[in-house]
Amino acid sequence: MLVLAGLNHRSAPLALRERLAFPEAAIPGALARLVRIESVEEAVVLSTCNRVEVVAWAPAGQPVAARLRAFLSEESGVPAADLARHGYEFEGLAALRHTLQVACGLDSMVLGEPQILGQLRRAYLVAVEAGAAGPNLRRLFPRLLAAARRIRRETGLSRRALSVGHAAVALARKIFGDLRGRAVLVLGSGKMAELAARQLAAHGAAGLAVASRTYSHALELAERTGGTAVAWEEAPAFLRKADVVVTATGAPEPVLRKSDVQQAMRARRNRPLFIVDMAVPRDVEESVNELERVYVYDMDALHGAVDSELEKQRHAAESALRLIEAELPALGRIWQAREVVPTIVALRDRLHEVGRKELDRLRHKLGPLSPRQEEAVRELAYAIIQKVLHRPVRHLKGAAANGSLEDLERLYREIFDLPRAASEEGTEASPVCGRTRGVSGEGLAR
Amino acid sequence: MVAGFLAVALASYAAGIGLSAVASAPRREHLQGIAGWVLAAGWLAHLGAVVAQGVSTGRLPLASLPEYLLVLGWVVLGLHLLVWFRSRIAAGALVLAPLAFALGLVALLWPGRPAALPPAQLRGLFLVHTTSSTLGMACVAVAFAMSLIYLLQDRALKARNRPRILRFLPSLDSSDRIGHLALLWGFPLLTVGVVTGGLWSAEVHNRFWVGGPKQTFPVLAWGVLGIVLYSRIVQGFTGRRSAYLTIFGFALGLLTVLGMTT
Repeated sequence: MLVLAGLNHRSAPLALRERLAFPEAAIPGALARLVRIESVEEAVVLSTCNRVEVVAWAPAGQPVAARLRAFLSEESGVPAADLARHGYEFEGLAALRHTLQVACGLDSMVLGEPQILGQLRRAYLVAVEAGAAGPNLRRLFPRLLAAARRIRRETGLSRRALSVGHAAVALARKIFGDLRGRAVLVLGSGKMAELAARQLAAHGAAGLAVASRTYSHALELAERTGGTAVAWEEAPAFLRKADVVVTATGAPEPVLRKSDVQQAMRARRNRPLFIVDMAVPRDVEESVNELERVYVYDMDALHGAVDSELEKQRHAAESALRLIEAELPALGRIWQAREVVPTIVALRDRLHEVGRKELDRLRHKLGPLSPRQEEAVRELAYAIIQKVLHRPVRHLKGAAANGSLEDLERLYREIFDLPRAASEEGTEASPVCGRTRGVSGEGLAR
Repeated sequence: MVAGFLAVALASYAAGIGLSAVASAPRREHLQGIAGWVLAAGWLAHLGAVVAQGVSTGRLPLASLPEYLLVLGWVVLGLHLLVWFRSRIAAGALVLAPLAFALGLVALLWPGRPAALPPAQLRGLFLVHTTSSTLGMACVAVAFAMSLIYLLQDRALKARNRPRILRFLPSLDSSDRIGHLALLWGFPLLTVGVVTGGLWSAEVHNRFWVGGPKQTFPVLAWGVLGIVLYSRIVQGFTGRRSAYLTIFGFALGLLTVLGMTT
């Protein structure tokens, strides 16, 4: 069963998300610790600016969601109570629905934004590489990602997608009117910084300067975006010239402090300064926004700032939600069928075992049978077992599709005294009774 | 005749203001153009009222307070239309149009026959004084509106959660720029108005400075706006404080009206 625990920009304030965010390099280690948790068989960690989510595969009926929350609490040092208040947990179909919504960008800050799909894909690939994504997630994720891509395409979500970069440009225009000739300073060399820089440049911003702690990274980004690389130490000087500053460093501490900006503002004769902070944890001290003519937008703020295309996007989102509902049963079956298989196999085993025993008793009573008689009796027993099995199997499969498998499974196991399944993989591979009559009826023949 | 024209103008203004307010809502932006044209139609009717007043009295209609308000309202709305046509800043319709409406309404409802100045005084220096003061005050009204818009915009940007207000308002840069431009025109006109006012006073009362609200408030307003302009040009000192001072200066200018009733 799919189990998910996490928090996002809606459920938790940025300050909390900052503490939970996993640096990219830390994810493989976290995955290794995750799969050591009891009942967690497979896992994927998604950590972006707006959300931290752990998706796990676990047998049903275990308090895995709570364990995942405890894991997040341990990793970040955030008290579990805070996580309970600001986080969410989903199981089964609900977890699948949520993940699909995330993949479609419906749960994003900027509705329908496309970056999240790539981020989710990357999170999955990291899990595959780290060996944390096993057969179940490896089956589910590619299908889920493909479904999300299709839904985005069919609803037009992708056409109108408003990225955070768009939001930044729209805001910059609300401050400067026209972006032509405005100087942009980029701090950090992340993907987000690059996207925003490209957007700004596409709207006429000029004099792009890129500074990064690692000069070679700055050089690469500058090359790709047609800007100039600046040594990190020189960045303050550029702060005096820039109209727009985009920050997206991975630094754990703010890189732009109030005193720095205050100083720069004096030198710029109070021209307005627009700062887009795309980093989580934030790169810009909160108090910088208090300075006059300085407007700081972090990821949370960018969200609230753009609503122009939102109406249309909402319509697309509504149809996407409907498509997701339509998509869920098919995706759910991938694992639900796998969940129900052990019970069906056990049930079949049990009935065939009864048949085999009865047949042995019969042979004992009647003495040796002729090959024709033997086959007739065996076929009779087989036909009865199959007939009896038919409805329960259909019933179980139906329950699996509805997500009400758990109780039913327990009932069947009690009634028929079925053993608990050891592992799905093992039981599924060894059918006791051949499916085609007369060809491989070893179960009964012995 | 005058009242008829003015009533039509005021009705159009009211309709234009209402339309502008509706146009500020999401997906109603197309009404902005209509609102602009309705205001323009009102402005023509307003012009009719100004001309009719001039024709009926046979002089420049700036000899009494209601006449001053009538003309000031007309110039203010004219400047709004100019800003709207040139810079597509529609938000002014929610500040300048109500201001023009209020000025016109007071002029329309002014009780009794206003005390006009004796015709002997209405020449030369006085004409320069009233014309430049009225035009200057109208420019300051535009600067006031832009300062108000600037402050709203600044507050919305700082609050980071007011997308609707943000969308309706022009960019910070344009409200700042147009406000500055309005001051650049308004301040010299006010200077001429204040100086010629003093000279006229010297001619009539034999004293350059007679005091009273009629002379004190314009001089105070002129001083405040002078500080704003000086700090903007020389010190590059813009932003909120500049906007607040502009609003203060405009308010002082309006208080001059108190002195004109006497």
